[in-house]
Amino acid sequence: MNSAAKILVHLCTTKPKLIYWTLLILTLGIGSQIPNIKIDTDPENMLDAAHPERVFHNNVKRDFSMHDAIVVGAISAPSTNDSGIYNQRSLKAIHDLVVTIMSIEGVITSDLMALSTVDNISQEEEGAIRFEWMMRNAPVSEEEALQIRDKIARLPLLYDTLVSQNDRASAIYVPIEDKNETYRIAETIRQAIEKLDSEDQWHITGLPVAEDQFGYEMFVQMGISAPLAGLTIFILLFVFFRNFPLIISPMIVAMSTVIVTMGLLITFGFTVHIMSSMIAIFLMPIAVVDSVHILSEFSDRYKPGENLPKIVEEVIGHLFKPMLYTSVTSSIGFFSLMLTPIPPVQIFGAFVGFGILFAFVVTITFIPAYLSRMSETSLIKLQKAIHKDDKGSRIARLAKQLGHIANHHQGRLLSVFALIFVISAWGVSQIKINDNPVRWFKEGHEIRVADKVLNENFAGTYDAYIVLTDETSLPGGATLLNQASPIPQTLSSWYQNALDTLDNTDASEQLLQLTSLIDEQLFTSESDEAIQWLESLLANVERIASESKRFQSPQILHYISELQTYLGNTGLVGKSNSLSDVVKVVNRELHTGENKDYQIPDTPAAVAQTLLQYQSSHRPQDLWHFVTPDYRSTLIWLQLTSGDNQDMSKVVQQVDDYVASHPLPEGVKLGWAGKAYLNVVWQENMVEGMLGSLLSAFIIVFFMMIILFRSLVFGVLAMLPLTITITFIYGLIGIVGKDYDMPIAVLSALTLGLSVDFAIHFLERTRAVYKQTQDINQTFSLMFDEPATAIGRNALVIALGFTPLLLAPLVPYITVGFFLASIMAVSALVTLLVLPAMMTKLQRFVFKPETK
Amino acid sequence: MKKSFLALITFTGLALTSTWVSAKTEINVQNIIEKAEMASFYAGDDGRAEALMMIVDAQGRKQMRKFTILRKDIEDQGDQKFMVFFSRPTDVKNTVFRVEKHVALEQDDDRWLYLPALDLVKRISAGDKRTSFVGSHFFYEDVSGRSITEDDFSLVEENDAFYVLDAKPKKPESVEFSHYQIKIDKTTFLPMSINFYKGDKHYRQVETVKVESISGYPTVLRSKVSDLETGGYTLMEFRNVTYNTGVPDEVFTERSLRTPPQQWLQ
Repeated sequence: MNSAAKILVHLCTTKPKLIYWTLLILTLGIGSQIPNIKIDTDPENMLDAAHPERVFHNNVKRDFSMHDAIVVGAISAPSTNDSGIYNQRSLKAIHDLVVTIMSIEGVITSDLMALSTVDNISQEEEGAIRFEWMMRNAPVSEEEALQIRDKIARLPLLYDTLVSQNDRASAIYVPIEDKNETYRIAETIRQAIEKLDSEDQWHITGLPVAEDQFGYEMFVQMGISAPLAGLTIFILLFVFFRNFPLIISPMIVAMSTVIVTMGLLITFGFTVHIMSSMIAIFLMPIAVVDSVHILSEFSDRYKPGENLPKIVEEVIGHLFKPMLYTSVTSSIGFFSLMLTPIPPVQIFGAFVGFGILFAFVVTITFIPAYLSRMSETSLIKLQKAIHKDDKGSRIARLAKQLGHIANHHQGRLLSVFALIFVISAWGVSQIKINDNPVRWFKEGHEIRVADKVLNENFAGTYDAYIVLTDETSLPGGATLLNQASPIPQTLSSWYQNALDTLDNTDASEQLLQLTSLIDEQLFTSESDEAIQWLESLLANVERIASESKRFQSPQILHYISELQTYLGNTGLVGKSNSLSDVVKVVNRELHTGENKDYQIPDTPAAVAQTLLQYQSSHRPQDLWHFVTPDYRSTLIWLQLTSGDNQDMSKVVQQVDDYVASHPLPEGVKLGWAGKAYLNVVWQENMVEGMLGSLLSAFIIVFFMMIILFRSLVFGVLAMLPLTITITFIYGLIGIVGKDYDMPIAVLSALTLGLSVDFAIHFLERTRAVYKQTQDINQTFSLMFDEPATAIGRNALVIALGFTPLLLAPLVPYITVGFFLASIMAVSALVTLLVLPAMMTKLQRFVFKPETK
Repeated sequence: MKKSFLALITFTGLALTSTWVSAKTEINVQNIIEKAEMASFYAGDDGRAEALMMIVDAQGRKQMRKFTILRKDIEDQGDQKFMVFFSRPTDVKNTVFRVEKHVALEQDDDRWLYLPALDLVKRISAGDKRTSFVGSHFFYEDVSGRSITEDDFSLVEENDAFYVLDAKPKKPESVEFSHYQIKIDKTTFLPMSINFYKGDKHYRQVETVKVESISGYPTVLRSKVSDLETGGYTLMEFRNVTYNTGVPDEVFTERSLRTPPQQWLQ
């Protein structure tokens, strides 16, 4: 311990009240910011706001007016006859519910999709084309209900999207303006469903609902799991020390660490995401570990009647270095998460890393201050408890038994661990990278159930969009004006004015503007020369404007159709919807209404005229979900029945393959958007980023170990147990077939920082003991007395400290709890079993004779 | 004597004016709406105009439509014939609508469509006329005129310049609105605004932006329809408006669909 630290600790033991007040003011001051907490449940935020794929996704949402939607599903009661949902009562319920939903504030009524809000396009008897509401009023007879079935079956855009193929289910898609209003809207819908005269089964889901629910469960987690973790640790500490006044001190360290860290996070304006909601539960066990060391050693050394502050300063002086190192290594594990390009993970890593260092500082200041003020009676009680406990405690006995195995079967242990390591390494190669935010809810959760039921019935509730964009450059109006042949004298002022007007708009709009400008001028111009010049320019502008509408081209529409057929055969895409489908349906109804006319017409003009008819419906704006008004970008909506990233990745791969063998039309670029796709993007970032975090943490910790022990061999030894542990755990995940998902990815780097602690303590103590004994066998025998017990204790504190996460309502928390507990337990075990064996085998390098 | 005669005239004049004013306040609602219908849809015996439509969506993205509209009345306030010839965008050029409007409540309008690129004449089903007119925020009915026999009108307000009438549909199940309010200019009898409501919710607005007198007929030269739910709107501008052109009946037949009558379109 350097002199600065010595002075600090001396200050603490002599001026405890100053420390108390400083800590109290700091904690309350920063903690006062906690009520400003902002919850963030948007999975999109796993990507930085400026991430190109996220920006593209949001542009696509804007350009094609794709809103976040609540999905309401009605599944017909099994008692109904073969007509499924197509019965008067069910349809009336849907109709009535939609009326209520339309009146809810915050619902985008013009884009609401339901049987009663969509249009039917059909043939009438004399061959007339007809646009009419699909179900303007609830059907008044069973026949009328069945007629709707026939109409829906003819409309590929609605079939299997609004009503399931098996006729049993119907969906209502409720687009909403603001995701933050989801709860209120969903709740109003739920109440309306209660009041319906319906025996059907109703489900409410959709991403906004899931996110909202998620936010709620996050609060539950923080409100229940974190205090439970505190309680667990408190009980454990009591079991170890049997002394309430004493164990209150580490609890104070833990509480103030959690409050200050969370308070700072909120003060800095960060939102609490699923990751940062676990900060409390991570910090609590880690924060008390150093205190446990101090209390153990203090109670060992203290004899009644001695100079209390002096003993305390001695203890801290003795433990300062290992505590500093274990704190720094742990925080490095967390800080390394900042290398992963996932903002919530970075924030989590940064603040837990900070929290660990803060806990260290509080431990070496507050604990001495606290101990130096403890009463004589408490101290005597403490000593009795500790010494009695140490001899006969279960942990001590267990440590002894472990010592027996570790010291008597060294060769076998090493072979077993080598074998496990090899198998695990193979297992790691088997890891399946996959995630699905819906599975973050427990099985049986309302949202999981709705998700399952709706995906069983419909073409799929997971959306991905393929966006084709014409990227060939389009000459703007200004360019065309500049290129025009010598301007007639009479038009020069008009020309200048036109050039000024056309500034700063995009090419398509410039063409439109220029057309109007020419039109207007034609109206007033009188000279033949001017009229001729204007007309030729107009012809040119119109030609370019027509040609610019790339997605009216029949060739490209055929390309899209074929791509859709291919997608349909992959087995992963339940259904896809595109501009081609719109064109074919309208073309069919414009002609005979029979299947033979379900075709794309031959010329761009024919496509344009077909679409002009589509726009003559009650919902002309529906066209803009599939193509932008300049016809230079089009969207293919893929409905997937699985939200697994793995499946989405496969679809992306298959489309890539298709495009490789069927090149895209010239100048057309393919892009992906949609939530299902975005999840894949951030997961890929996460996996790659995590590898970087893990490697960098490994290297930094490794070098720290070399420096700490001033020995390469000890550096290697320190890294050995955690290497085996992490490989084992991840190998197991690969072999068992558990998906490598968000929580599991995050664990790798941070456990590295935590589990190296055991090795540090073990190696440090072994060295010290060997120095005294100069005998390897005796050293290891002694190591399994007090040192192994201390390691066991800390392993228990950390492992059990995380177990309250098992009670959390969301799966990622449970995963984190389970794996952290396992990793801590396993790595303590591996440390105690492998290190003695390795050190014995490598004794030539490890235990160098004392050079005197 | 002369003086008293003048006074008498003045007095009589005042008396006449005041009777006229009181007659005006009690003016029959039916009368107002009929005059409004006349002014908006029956000016002259026939009419011709070039229309330019700018459709603007909630994001400010624009589409253009340009067409020439020909109208011939069979009788005032009675049946009418319309032809709509599209010239822009270029890819829908020569697309034609033909409408025979029937005012009798029980008789639906007849509508046909010609799509040149498909060389197809298609009848459009009577059905609902409150669908979008070629993707704009105008409905078919806004272009050809919603027959005043379809609604019940009542006077809501009257001031120096306007009458405000409230209209309730006779067949509420056939329309998307529950009622609308129409503000009629007292001098021209042109509707200056029509506000549509679903219950209390004002969701759609038709405004008259510019009126000019052409051949003595007050004529709407610019109007705007706004979809208050989405924020989109459509501007329509009429140019080259002429009345009483003498366009013959043959122009309003199926033959004109495939071969547009160029002389009436210039």
